[in-house]
Amino acid sequence: MATRLELLSHQSLLLCHDCDLVIANRSVGSGERVVCPRCHAVLYEVRPDSVNRVLALSLTGLMLFIPANTLPIMNLQLIGSSSSNTMVNGVVQLVSQGYWWMAFLVLFCSVLVPVIELLILFVLGLAVKLGRWRQLAISLLKWQGRISEWGMLEVYMLGIVVAFVKMKDLGDLHAGMGLAAFIGLLLMTILTNLCFDRHHFWERADDIKP
Amino acid sequence: MTSNPNQQTGSVAGLLLCDCCHLVSRRRKQPGSNHCPRCYADLSVRLPNSMAKTWWLLAGAVLLLLPANLYPVMTVVYFGKGEPDTIISGVIHLLHGGMVPIALLVFIASIAVPVMKLVGISVLLLTVQRGWSLSKQQCTIMYRYVEFIGRWSMLDLFMISILVTLVDLGEIATITAGAGATAFAGVVVLTMLAASSFDPRLLWDLEQSVPEKSQKKNQTT
Repeated sequence: MATRLELLSHQSLLLCHDCDLVIANRSVGSGERVVCPRCHAVLYEVRPDSVNRVLALSLTGLMLFIPANTLPIMNLQLIGSSSSNTMVNGVVQLVSQGYWWMAFLVLFCSVLVPVIELLILFVLGLAVKLGRWRQLAISLLKWQGRISEWGMLEVYMLGIVVAFVKMKDLGDLHAGMGLAAFIGLLLMTILTNLCFDRHHFWERADDIKP
Repeated sequence: MTSNPNQQTGSVAGLLLCDCCHLVSRRRKQPGSNHCPRCYADLSVRLPNSMAKTWWLLAGAVLLLLPANLYPVMTVVYFGKGEPDTIISGVIHLLHGGMVPIALLVFIASIAVPVMKLVGISVLLLTVQRGWSLSKQQCTIMYRYVEFIGRWSMLDLFMISILVTLVDLGEIATITAGAGATAFAGVVVLTMLAASSFDPRLLWDLEQSVPEKSQKKNQTT
């Protein structure tokens, strides 16, 4: 089995996470992606100026988090009485109706994971930028990989749209300030994730001196 | 295989991929577990117990699908009157109300996506176990699709959490959640966990084992 691969150091090799194919790593330019030739999985993508952009966008997202969660998203008026909803209120109401498990899931996917992910990415950006806290950076990167699929702000946005259309005939329905903050938070979360270059962050975290 | 190093897999080459940080390292010869030199995560050639775990999670999801569709997910009470809605009756109400696009959206997110996920993951598992000769490329695309769409089933649950506070007008109108929603939340979580516990590399291992055997036969004869 004296293949050409034996001559290459394993550091210059990539393995496809979807089909386990061995691929020789090559130098790629900014904005380019490395794709598995067999199953077409994207192995990694070089995203320009990742650290600075992640820092700026995640900080903006964090500033919008409290207004997005506490200001009313929609307001319903019907024959003199009115009620409005916030993201956190929905969870509290579900708990008071006895639906603990559902309340937890909604809280987890629409409030906790999004804010934890933004916090993680911000601290990660700082650690990598300052070249400090190696252990912290590595465990944060691990946690980010584990929780990111559970952050579902974009699905929540669609939930707002469906709720709006469903209830618009019931009474006077208005969008609140919370909606603007929520849309801002959603955009910042999406942009942070688009700018986050996992491959680059892992390499930078590994380079931090212990 | 010597002639085409581009088609070699990590398991054959003695290389391990870290599931956590995607660093490639050499498999150690001595017994004991391998650890990633960069992030210290446990390394394994394939996700441990992937098939059994995925089957159990899938079975749980199928069991919960029944109460999720039979029990009401929410009740709208308007001036003291109101009937509990199941997922399907909610979609039908939307259709009668003339809100066809929204009805379609809710139907896709709450009924079509969970069912397609269950069928899709079952096909993937059976392909690996029975060695079905489906296109590995297409199976992998299906796997990615199943992983991507799973989260959108949460739509109905988020909508309910919005409506229970938005429509809280005492005597005039209230909305309460129902037991079906809890079961449906279980379906979503279990199918998401099932999708992520499945290891798509098992599909490609089938591809590998067939030509390898025939090659060995060719060499001996």
